[in-house]
Amino acid sequence: MSSLLSIKNMSVNFDTPRGSLEAVRGVDIEIPAGMSVGVVGESGSGKTVMCRAAMGLLQGSTVNRTGTVIFDGNELTAMSKEQVRELFGSGMAMIFQDPLTALNPVRRIGAQVSEGLRIRLGMSKSDAMARSKELLELVRIPNAAAVLKSFPYQLSGGMRQRVMIAIAIACNPKLLFADEPTTALDVTVQAQILQLLRELREDLKMSMVLVTHDLGVVAGNTDYVAVMYAGEVVEYAPTKKLFADMRMPYTEALLDSIPRVDHKSGTRLSVIAGRLPDPTNRPAGCGFAPRCKYAQDKCTTDHPELKTDPDGHIYRCWFPIGEAL
Amino acid sequence: MFKFKELSKPTQLCVAWLGLMMFFALFGPFLPIENWTFVYEDDLGVTPFSPGHILGTDNNGYDLLSSVISGTRMSVFIAVTAVGLGGLIGSALGITAAFVRGKVDLVLSTAFNVGLAIPNLVLALALVSVLATNVDMTEVVPIWRRVVVLVISLTIVLIPILGRIARGATLTWSGREFVTAARSMGMRDMQIIRKHIVPNVLPALIAVAFLAFGVVIIAEASLSLLGVGIPDGGSWGGMIARGRNDLEYSPHVLYIPVIFLAITVISTNQIGEVLRGRLDGRESKV
Amino acid sequence: MAGSGTAHMRNTVDSVLTVRDLTVEFRVGKNKTVKAVSGLSLDVVKGETLAIVGESGCGKTTLARAILQLPPPNSGEVIFDGTDMTLLPKENLRSARTSMQMIFQDPISSLNPRMTVHQLIDEPLEIWDRGTRAERDERINKLLFSVGLEPDLVLNRRSYEFSGGQCQRISIARALALDPRMLICDEPVSALDVSIQAQILNLLLFMKETYGLTMLFISHDLAVVKAISTRVMVMYLGKICEVAPPDVLYSQPAHHYTRALLNSVPIPDPTKQIRTELLQGEPPSPMNPPSGCRFRTRCVGASALCAEQEPQLREVSPGQFVACHHPIV
Repeated sequence: MSSLLSIKNMSVNFDTPRGSLEAVRGVDIEIPAGMSVGVVGESGSGKTVMCRAAMGLLQGSTVNRTGTVIFDGNELTAMSKEQVRELFGSGMAMIFQDPLTALNPVRRIGAQVSEGLRIRLGMSKSDAMARSKELLELVRIPNAAAVLKSFPYQLSGGMRQRVMIAIAIACNPKLLFADEPTTALDVTVQAQILQLLRELREDLKMSMVLVTHDLGVVAGNTDYVAVMYAGEVVEYAPTKKLFADMRMPYTEALLDSIPRVDHKSGTRLSVIAGRLPDPTNRPAGCGFAPRCKYAQDKCTTDHPELKTDPDGHIYRCWFPIGEAL
Repeated sequence: MFKFKELSKPTQLCVAWLGLMMFFALFGPFLPIENWTFVYEDDLGVTPFSPGHILGTDNNGYDLLSSVISGTRMSVFIAVTAVGLGGLIGSALGITAAFVRGKVDLVLSTAFNVGLAIPNLVLALALVSVLATNVDMTEVVPIWRRVVVLVISLTIVLIPILGRIARGATLTWSGREFVTAARSMGMRDMQIIRKHIVPNVLPALIAVAFLAFGVVIIAEASLSLLGVGIPDGGSWGGMIARGRNDLEYSPHVLYIPVIFLAITVISTNQIGEVLRGRLDGRESKV
Repeated sequence: MAGSGTAHMRNTVDSVLTVRDLTVEFRVGKNKTVKAVSGLSLDVVKGETLAIVGESGCGKTTLARAILQLPPPNSGEVIFDGTDMTLLPKENLRSARTSMQMIFQDPISSLNPRMTVHQLIDEPLEIWDRGTRAERDERINKLLFSVGLEPDLVLNRRSYEFSGGQCQRISIARALALDPRMLICDEPVSALDVSIQAQILNLLLFMKETYGLTMLFISHDLAVVKAISTRVMVMYLGKICEVAPPDVLYSQPAHHYTRALLNSVPIPDPTKQIRTELLQGEPPSPMNPPSGCRFRTRCVGASALCAEQEPQLREVSPGQFVACHHPIV
């Protein structure tokens, strides 16, 4: 199974007045073609920075990115900004958490959707508008003709998110980055949008990277899951296998601490004590050690490397769950 | 809030300059130099750095250092008073408008908008000619009367400017949840304004106040240049008016007040900008 | 979907809060009103945690603010500790409010960024002059300990120096300063990280048990609600759909909206994914709600009756009340 996107040993540092802030540290991820990969982590885990860095969207003199990113055979990290931008739209596309700020408030929807079609595919204005209408119908927006003439503020959050998806898939990208696409939406709208994404993926044969903090969302919408903590990938496996057979104590602790509708009411939630490590001052050993209930001496002194099991399950832990000590 | 050492070099210079201006303004009369009206008959039109006259004299024998110090006192007094009064009244009205809302807000906002439409120079000209000019043009008008009318007219112009800022800031802050929390604790409205609204609105006002200082100083100088301000050159504008004619032979008579004026206004603007930048940074954290 | 309907009220002397026929409407523009809450009744019994669940626009936050009279509702009664708060004059209202404190969604903006933690928690004590300086300081320390914060480390710092979870703890300490009988929590964990949510929820449960608090818990997150509530009320577009104990509501929902809501919640278990009928479309505008049952435009079980007659709450199983003409059996 070939990899559509391959991130090797990527690190991202920011220069801040308080010192060098390490947001992402030595991340290795392979996104197979046609698959959906979830990236799960809390705020501060580095998941958003990693996605933006992979797409080359982080700019500025304070950003230092190292490592290689290979997309569809092209080495993005060796290409110029213009060359990378060529790939946007038809190669990679991205949808964001807050559609209100991602859409231009003073331009009509029709203009924003057709812009990509005209610039990238060289369509005429009328052709692009017609195709825009089709796209809006593809993302199940009722009354597409009226929506084309509307402004973003006139639409609900769910509708705006659909518009953003329409813009993203306009040029048939091979890979879609979805950065917390449903976090700001109501739960019923979230379910609709996730279903839409599942169907679009199948129809368009599109791969997806789904970044979220919600383990429930990844459980139902991904083929593989990568768990990030403190800037590193700490576990990576097919979704079903990850949930059935967790290796990282962090993943287990995270799953235990979330309230669930399928558990009995009033169950006391188990808590992860402590706080995230300081990104300007990463500890020597495992980043999760101070909060881990299985931690041993080795965990605080030696930084664990990624290990791959024969069945493809990758994890970063000296004493993974299930392994006899 | 912030230390002197942390500021950039230019800003430090600006603070130092303003400090010097304040010093002149407060202690000018106590300095061991003659009053600016003293005529040095032997030293007409001497250039700066001449013995006894570090900034030179003008063609009438007035020492420029004394003149400029007197001008500083005048400008600083008028600026501080006008901005202070304008700020006090304006923010009281603005905070009230934003807190009470409804009809009161409507009336006050309209009043602000009307006030903003009045050009400050025209208003000052009108008030001065009505209130501080004698029908018999040969009689001398006491300086204090001119000063008071100037301050009044500038205050009137500043009230809507600072009032609008205060109103906007109050609208933002009173929407925050900690104000609702304070109400739910049983706090009275006046207490809420005093303890929660004012301390958060003040920084924005102070930043604008500094910018307003610059505007007022230039306004006063313009009016004096036109002859409607402080008569007889006891101010920077008056010095510039007097120096106009000396440009060919004694340009320093004109340059000195212009330089003082320019550096002072640049300094207040710079400090106002720095304050605003700090504020935005802090508020984005909240 | 019922607006009125008081079948779910228990009318006992143990009721700490009784709300009857509450209506909150906002005028927006010339002839348009947003009907945020329409004729709603509820009661909260001592020691209970009533959760109000609904999506954005259902009116739950407006309801909470209206109970506190911030601002007061357009009509209806809010009877707290025997007194109708809507009828109280301003001064009495101020003191009545102290028995009912609120915790807000955004932990950082609920604290004045210019005040130290000490000043923040002292404020309510100062307003009501509760004790000497020494007594108040001691109380502040005790409150901070009880929410899991070290007084020495936090007293002199300001809100922007803390994380969301810590700010929420400070808010809880402040809310408890005046010994309230009831705590209204408006989405208190929505803005927090997943692993912190559990900490704060456990803290709220602990506080409830220790201080014998009665709670009104507002949230859009069904999973959070299940963990913390003893009774759940589902709202849609300003009206009540269903009221039931959590175990019953979650396993046997009687209202179509409740079921759709439950089916939409993503479950962190790949083997338990529900792909059945999802709720389609968008909620109608609160300025122009549908006639009769407000949910009928998106309901699979709607009939002509639903458009004509507004359903009232009635009991369909012990303790479970639903406002629907054709409830799920």
